[in-house]
Amino acid sequence: MAPNTRIILICSGKGGVGKTTLTANLGIALARQGVRTVVLDADFGLRNLDLLLGLENRIVYTAQEVLEESCRLDQALVKHKQEPNLSLLPAGNPRMLEWLKPDDMQRIVGMLAKQFDYVLIDCPAGVEDGFKNAVSATKEAIIITTPEVSAVRDADRVIGLLNTNGIKPVQLVLNRVRPKMIESQEMLSVDDVTDILALPLLGLVLEDEQVIISTNRGEPLTLKDNISPAARCYANIAKRLQGENIPLIDPAKAGRGLRDKFMRLMQTKIF
Amino acid sequence: MSFSPNSSKSQKITLPTSRETEWGKSLSGLINALEPGPTELDCFDWRLGCRELKKLISILENSGLKLTRVSGNIPETMVSAAALGHPTNLLLTTNEKNKPTPSQTISKEENSQKLLFHNGTLRSGDHLSAAGDVLLFGDVNPGAKISAGGDVMIWGRLRGIAHAGQNGDLKAKIVALELRPLQLRIGNVVARGPEGQPEQGLAEEAKILSGRIVIEPANTKIPKA
Ligand SMILES: Nc1ncnc2c1ncn2[C@@H]1O[C@H](COP(=O)(O)OP(=O)(O)O)[C@@H](O)[C@H]1O
Ligand SMILES: [Mg+2]
Repeated sequence: MAPNTRIILICSGKGGVGKTTLTANLGIALARQGVRTVVLDADFGLRNLDLLLGLENRIVYTAQEVLEESCRLDQALVKHKQEPNLSLLPAGNPRMLEWLKPDDMQRIVGMLAKQFDYVLIDCPAGVEDGFKNAVSATKEAIIITTPEVSAVRDADRVIGLLNTNGIKPVQLVLNRVRPKMIESQEMLSVDDVTDILALPLLGLVLEDEQVIISTNRGEPLTLKDNISPAARCYANIAKRLQGENIPLIDPAKAGRGLRDKFMRLMQTKIF
Repeated sequence: MSFSPNSSKSQKITLPTSRETEWGKSLSGLINALEPGPTELDCFDWRLGCRELKKLISILENSGLKLTRVSGNIPETMVSAAALGHPTNLLLTTNEKNKPTPSQTISKEENSQKLLFHNGTLRSGDHLSAAGDVLLFGDVNPGAKISAGGDVMIWGRLRGIAHAGQNGDLKAKIVALELRPLQLRIGNVVARGPEGQPEQGLAEEAKILSGRIVIEPANTKIPKA
């Protein structure tokens, strides 16, 4: 039993803001730091964490069979080939939504906490049952949002719900940040967002087309010593979670320095 | 009993239940039992105005106690404390709960208390509703709503929706440290919030003047001590 297991819910309220991408990249990044990490797909309705991790074709059992006791937990866990410190517990079929209860979620997470240092839960969008089940089993949370008014509004609502459920700490990741748009005031700035949400900022993730490329390949960016902007952001978030003091990037400077320009040049040649 | 001066736990002074005795008498005994240093003041069910509270606090501070926080279960006392610039903590008695659960409307119809006091920011989807006046220590975020039969007072930023005088009282007003609401309502009069940035550091109030909601610098009359 690892009583110090960190059970972290990754949630957003709004869909499509980058929960699953963050869960996959953070999972790999933590595993690469040598901590035993498991990612749990709690988005039963729209599961795709397996896809992002490139593990879709290796799934035999899911959380559903574990709960029904028709298999053991270790049979359902899918170990990542390149990064054996990372395992995935896949979501069962979407009908699980109909019968899953907070108790079930707590049971699953309780089992995982015995074997792992980090349990990352990819939360479904919305604030309905799927979200409530996930919240009931978690200790802390990462809220992810994009700098858009609607996403921030939904995040705010979710933070309120997390607070009433006593989830602590709740930290913020701001995704798809575009320095140029912030500069031209076409996008909410980092301050605009933290001003409303009033949460500690765990990190920024820059808008980066490499994210989309890596998603399609099923190879999270953090798997390699990737130099793409978003990869660095994810790696930094993992380090901060581990307590390292990594300064935040300044979006006003990101991607504009000589070094960044050079990096971009290199990348365009590679891909 | 010993208090280490560096211990992170600060001590607490609790005013006695009985208010028959004069302060001076009971207070000196209470103070003598404490070490100089950080102290929380629990006013219990004492209803104290700014003047009384200030007097009390100055007695405590003159005896070397450093006030970290004022707590108690009478909202008016907490308002006085906040007005004097002290962190406050409203303690709830078991049969009343002032904290709203998000997405649930909290009404306090049966409550005889005229002022509902709430500590904490209202986030998107929250709705705080009071039968009488309401005083909020925190922000009202976009998507959140605060409403009251009487005045709405916000010790923070109003960026959501506020409705004062929800039973039709046109004399009700809305006061906030920063008044940038999406929408304001007083009685049955509705106004969209102003555009542009407010003047920094100036509390504002909204009220009805000849049938329309107007916003002007708040009449911040803090009772003189
Ligand atoms: N930093 C980023 N830069 C570019 N695209 C991103 C970034 N983060 C996420 N995306 C894209 O946004 C889409 C939604 O992401 P996903 O993680 O599936 O969201 P969610 O799980 O919250 O629904 C995906 O197509 C993903 O590739
Ligand atoms: Mg997802």
